[in-house]
Amino acid sequence: MSIDINKVLKTLGISDVNKGVSTGQEWFETKGAITSSSSPIDGKEIAKVKNATLDDYEMVIKKAQEAFKVWRLVPAPERGEIVRQIGLELRKYKDDLSALVSYEMGKIFQEGKGEVQEMIDICDFAVGQSRLINGVSLQSERREHRLFEQYQPLGVVGIVTSFNFPVAVWAWNSALAAIAGDVVIWKPSSKTPLTALATQKIISSVLKKNNVPEGVFNLVVAKSSVMGDNFIADRRIPLMSVTGSTAVGKRVGGIVGKRLGKTILELGGNNAVIITPNADIPMAIASTVFGTVGTAGQRCTSTRRIIIHESVYDQVKNSMVKAYKSVASKIGSPLDEKFLVGPLIDEHSVNAFTHAVNSVEKEGGKILFGGEVLEGKGFESGNYVMPCIAEAKNEYEIVQEETFAPIVYLIKYTGDIYDAIAIQNNVPQGLSSCVFTLNMREAEIFVSSAGSDCGIANVNVGTSGAEIGGAFGGEKDTGGGRESGSDSWKIYMRRQTSTVNYGTELPLAQGINFEF
Amino acid sequence: MLILYSIKTFKMLIDKKILIEDLVDNFPFSVNYLSSQGIKCIACGEPIWGTLEEACLEKNFTSKDIQEFVRELNTLSKNN
Repeated sequence: MSIDINKVLKTLGISDVNKGVSTGQEWFETKGAITSSSSPIDGKEIAKVKNATLDDYEMVIKKAQEAFKVWRLVPAPERGEIVRQIGLELRKYKDDLSALVSYEMGKIFQEGKGEVQEMIDICDFAVGQSRLINGVSLQSERREHRLFEQYQPLGVVGIVTSFNFPVAVWAWNSALAAIAGDVVIWKPSSKTPLTALATQKIISSVLKKNNVPEGVFNLVVAKSSVMGDNFIADRRIPLMSVTGSTAVGKRVGGIVGKRLGKTILELGGNNAVIITPNADIPMAIASTVFGTVGTAGQRCTSTRRIIIHESVYDQVKNSMVKAYKSVASKIGSPLDEKFLVGPLIDEHSVNAFTHAVNSVEKEGGKILFGGEVLEGKGFESGNYVMPCIAEAKNEYEIVQEETFAPIVYLIKYTGDIYDAIAIQNNVPQGLSSCVFTLNMREAEIFVSSAGSDCGIANVNVGTSGAEIGGAFGGEKDTGGGRESGSDSWKIYMRRQTSTVNYGTELPLAQGINFEF
Repeated sequence: MLILYSIKTFKMLIDKKILIEDLVDNFPFSVNYLSSQGIKCIACGEPIWGTLEEACLEKNFTSKDIQEFVRELNTLSKNN
C-alpha cells in the first residue's frame, strides 16, 4: 500500500506554515519561533509551526479559566456526549491521522492505526464513565444527618506529551478530563507538533456543532523556554500530566510538589520479561520480539531485559537471534506495510542507541546480533538501526538505564522464580513486567505481593502495550501516575466530603458539648 | 536564558545557563560530548528540561568541571 502524504496533510488541514495555538475552534497568530517538523522516515521537512510566546500562553490560560466556569456546570453525561462525538470524528479520520502519526513519528502504519484506535477506545470508555462519576454515601454518627462523598471538577489540566505516542496520550488525559468537567492545555512534543495540530482540527467541528466554549480544549505549541518551568509552576493549573523521561519527571515533581499541586507522571521504564523453565517458549519468543522491536523500541513499555532460566537460556537465545534475522529484512519505511520496524525519531536517538551498544560491550557484555546504524537505499535519513540483542548482567550501568531504542539485554538466572523476580525488580524503574510460565505457582507468585514491583505485571502477555480498560502507569522512577481506565478518572477531580443536617438539633461530632 | 553573542562574529556562545533544549537545537555536537561525560541531554527522544548547569549539577559535577565543559563546548563550536 502506498500512502500519499500530501493528500493526508491536505485532508487534515496541515499547510506549509501552521498556527500553533488554538483554544478550540479559534487559531491564533503568534510571534514565537517558527519551528519545523521533519519525518524520521526520509528526513524531509513536513511543515512549519508558529510557536507561542509567553503572551500567547497567558491568553490561553485565561481563556481556559473562563471556560472552566461554564464547562463545570454542564452535566457530566452531556460532556460525555461531546467526547462520544469526538470519538466518531476520530473514526472518520482514522486512516489519515494514523498515516501522519506514522510519517511524523516513524512508527509503522499498523501501529499508527493502533494509536488512533486507542484514542477512539478511550473516548468510548470516557462516555460510559461520564454516567458513572460516583461518590459514596456513608453512615453519619449524628441523627438526621447525611454524610457523603462526591467528586467535583478540578480546573485546568496541563498535558505534556512525548513523541512516541504523540496523540494517544493526549486522548487518555483529555477524554477523562473533559467528562470530569476540567479543561485542558496541551503542550505536544516538539518532535511531533503536526499530529497535535491535526487532532485539534479534527475535534474542532464537534466543538463548533455543540457550542463548546473556547478554552475547553487548548493546544499550545511552544518551546520549553516559553512553556517549561513556568508552565509546571503555574498555580492556576491544579493538575499536571507529564509523559517523558525520569529526569523530566523529577523536575516536574519537584516544582509541582513545591506548590502542592497534583501530578500524573508517566516516565521511563526498564521492562523485563522473565522466561522460566515452564514457559511456552514459542509464545514467549513471538511476544517478546514484538516487545523489543515494535515501534523500534520507542515505547515506554518496550521490553528492555529478558531474564531467562539457565536451563532454557540457549534455546531462548538462539530463537531470539533467529527471529531477529527474520526481522532484519523487514526494516524500512513505516508507510510501506511490508516493513515491521521503522526508524528512530532522530539522530540523537540513534546516538543513544550506539552509545548503549558500545557501553554494554565496554562493561563486559556480548553483542549477539545487530547494533549497526543502517546505510544505503531507503535509509538515507540516517535514523534506521539494526535492532540489537546483547548478553549482559543486570548490574551493568547501561542495563540499569532506559535506552529508548531497540536494544535488549539477555540476562541468565539460576534458582527459582524468586531469583528471577529479584533481578527484575533490581532497577530504578517500575513500569511493565511479565512472566512466561505455564506453572500456576510461578504465575501467582509473580503477581503476588512478593512478586513484580511494577505498575503492570502480566502472565503470558508481553510488557509492551496495554488495554484501555486498565489503569496505566508504573512505580518508583516511573513516577507513580495512572492514566486511562479503571478508576484513573478520580485524579482529574477533587474529592469532597459533605455532611447535611436535615434535623432541628445541632449535635457536634464526637459528642462535644459547646454551649454558650 | 543567557545565550551570549559575540559582537564581531555574531556566533552564539555557550554559557552554563543555556537551556538544554537550545543546546540540542543549536549545538547538536554537544549531545555526544556531554554523553561521553555521563550527562544525558536527550531522554525518550526529547531534550531534558533545564539548563546545562542544572544537568551537570545533577550528576554531581563541580563548578570547576562545568566551567571546563563550557570552555570545551565553545572550542568544539568553533570547529563545527
